[in-house]
Amino acid sequence: MPIARDSDLPADRGRRDARHHHERVRSQINDYLRKRIGEEDIVTAGPDKRLRVPVKGEKRYRFIFDRGAAGGAGQGDGEVGAGVPTDDPAAAAGGGEGEVLYEVEVDMAEVEETLFAELGLPRLKPKRVLDIAAPDITFDDVARKGPLLDKKATLRENLLRNAKRGRLHLGGLEKEDLRYRSYREAPSPRTQAVVLCLMDVSGSMGYLHKRIARLFFYWTVRFLRHQYTRVEVVFVGHTSEAFELSEQEFFTRKESGGTIVSSAFRLAREIQRERYPEAAWNVYVLYTSDGDNLASDNLPTTELIADLLTRVNLVGYLEIGRGAVMWGGPKLSTALEAAALDGLVVARAADEREIWGALKVIFARDGVEEAVA
Amino acid sequence: MTGAAGLLADGLWRRASYTADDLAALEEACLREAEALGLHPPAVVFHLVPAEVVYDVSARGLPGRYSHWRFGQIYEQMKRDHDAGRARIYELVVNTRPAHAYLLEGNSLVAQLLVIAHVLGHAVVFERSRYFEPADKGFLTRVRAAADRIDRYMSEHGRRVVEDFLDDCQALATTVPLSQLGERYVEDEPVDEPRPYDELFPEEVAARRRRVEEERARLRRRFPRHPERDVLGFVMQHARYLEDWQRDVIGIVREEQRYFAPQLTTKLIHEGMAMWTHNAILQRLRLDSADFVEYQRLNAAVAQPHHFQVNPYNLGWLLMREIERIATEPSDEERERWQWAGEVDPVEQLLAVVEGYDDAALVAEFVTERVCEEAKLYVWAERQQPHGVAITSRDVEEVRAALVRGHVNAGLPVVEIVDADGSGRGELLLEHRVEGVGLDPEYAKGTLLHLASLWGNAVEIATLRSADGVAVRYRATPGSATVAELRQAEPPPSPA
Repeated sequence: MPIARDSDLPADRGRRDARHHHERVRSQINDYLRKRIGEEDIVTAGPDKRLRVPVKGEKRYRFIFDRGAAGGAGQGDGEVGAGVPTDDPAAAAGGGEGEVLYEVEVDMAEVEETLFAELGLPRLKPKRVLDIAAPDITFDDVARKGPLLDKKATLRENLLRNAKRGRLHLGGLEKEDLRYRSYREAPSPRTQAVVLCLMDVSGSMGYLHKRIARLFFYWTVRFLRHQYTRVEVVFVGHTSEAFELSEQEFFTRKESGGTIVSSAFRLAREIQRERYPEAAWNVYVLYTSDGDNLASDNLPTTELIADLLTRVNLVGYLEIGRGAVMWGGPKLSTALEAAALDGLVVARAADEREIWGALKVIFARDGVEEAVA
Repeated sequence: MTGAAGLLADGLWRRASYTADDLAALEEACLREAEALGLHPPAVVFHLVPAEVVYDVSARGLPGRYSHWRFGQIYEQMKRDHDAGRARIYELVVNTRPAHAYLLEGNSLVAQLLVIAHVLGHAVVFERSRYFEPADKGFLTRVRAAADRIDRYMSEHGRRVVEDFLDDCQALATTVPLSQLGERYVEDEPVDEPRPYDELFPEEVAARRRRVEEERARLRRRFPRHPERDVLGFVMQHARYLEDWQRDVIGIVREEQRYFAPQLTTKLIHEGMAMWTHNAILQRLRLDSADFVEYQRLNAAVAQPHHFQVNPYNLGWLLMREIERIATEPSDEERERWQWAGEVDPVEQLLAVVEGYDDAALVAEFVTERVCEEAKLYVWAERQQPHGVAITSRDVEEVRAALVRGHVNAGLPVVEIVDADGSGRGELLLEHRVEGVGLDPEYAKGTLLHLASLWGNAVEIATLRSADGVAVRYRATPGSATVAELRQAEPPPSPA
């Protein structure tokens, strides 16, 4: 018999089923990544990096003997009476089949796609801008390429193709059958947004605080860039005074000095007034710190936020760390919560594991308010 | 020198790359040696394919089989091991005529040679064993057509719905009879036979006739008439709420399982014969010393025993060598025991065993003291303090008994449908034919939930609770995620 070089089997079926397997354990993958989102290897991962995620498999049930009671035959060295201690005799006996913990590999693109689907820009409003005629997009067309599969159109093509070959049934989908939803552009009022990222960069912010703050903004920026093409981001750092920074500076710059939170919100108000008029922009202001502030500055800060809220969609505050502020006085979060302003959201993160929860509080999806685990 | 002889004399390891022609030459050499050994393997088509295809076929067990996330899970695991360079070599043979087998592109030429010779051993088992019929010509076409239909059901009813339904079917797949040779217990109907002096006692005779008639009527009302082991087949025919596509899917799972079933009861025979064959062939091919070392390394990796289980490659091979030894150099005792000992060509005897034995029969007869020692066999059992498992014996009788238990009915419990109209409400009652050990409670309950979802009504199974030897019933109802545990005579909880 000759060696057949061909095999008419398609080479991607295994990979496709592996993808279906990921869909099956999607919630476990997401749970795991939400907890680990603050960790270095995920942050530094490029889009090609593959992550290993431990998941618990669905058991393959069937009628089998009570494994522990049955005992069995084995092979190997060892005196009579020798054993291995274990909680699960079946596992020691190798009886466990596909039902213990195992790992799946996911790439970062897959990770971001699914995680970011949980976030949204809350209180987003369409803003009418007369000088920019951005097209409105409606998905009512069909194309041969694209990200959104049109199942109905695809099946129609498949049916047509089979019919041309004299077989009146569905099945055997080929690439040429695939149809995607496509869009038409029409001029329309435009929805646009800006996010002002404010951060305490003073000495009171310890290494861990800054790390969490930066991770929070890192994911914020990644989320915004991933999800919205028309979102602008502005970076502001402050000590006892505030200054606008480039993205690069914002994430790397180290400062020393006192802490006056109102300085950041004052600069934010200026930037908003000059560059992002509320008539044209959805404005989001996000601030992170360790909760430290000059006690006498809490009131001016609250007043500034109240003033900002008359123009912006949302002010979010992430307080990092836990426990009392070293120099006494209530934390900023306490003061802000006491003010109970509509449109002000306060979140907390004690460590990296809580970053995702904080992101979900601040970027709550309208109408899909989920409890944060 | 040309062809295989040239390749082998030069040393296979020298070949940085090879062609399909090289493999064909090696295959020809293997076939020649197999013929010389008297094995006469049937035709095998070898496919040289990339890793994606080898692992896809290995995960599915059949080329072109339907899509399911579980295959993707196995595929990903195998592919990752392969990419990390820690995959073992896979051989997969499809029992058709001709048989089909797969060779992984990029394997060393020594590994390819070993796989080719090994596969010939499997082909011999498929050809000779009375437990195997070759799948008919249309089988692989049907497997693919079934995969197409399942794709269609997925687009109509949703992937998840169909995958879950396939899981329901797979949970019961092991109940598909392992072979058509299995006997079935049939209860005889009582017959009213005339006795002497009957005419003297007309009233007693009438009463007796009535009793017999009633008993016959009772038996005939029973549904199924006789205990039914083919749970999946019974459900396919008699479950009331299944849609056509669901009955079709059950049929698909059942047909494919019938293909796999004989392999479950002949794992030792298969791997033992394949190991014996590739070793016999490679010994005759006179490998270059570097190739020989590589071949020994691969062999050792495959035959490596793992703790607390039996490696069928290792034990199967040892058993085949033991049969070979008994055929050629038996002790006096062995001459007593086996007529053929010392009197028969060893290959002929091996083929006779392959033809007539399944694993249970093989271990019952040929696990000798020598095998027990060489294979380092032992019996293990669960222990309480400290919690774990421990070696309890290395006695050959006990080892043999444990091996037989583990291989009778492929080591699976026998379960039968005894009543499909339980309580007059169409409930399905199953009985585990207990022989000492009960069902694993967690698995029994999980399986029962799958069955309840297929049957569309309450289902029960009677078995033994191994921990204290109490007879119990598990009861599941469709739509509920919990399974009740009842004492044998306890009535089911009334529906609230």
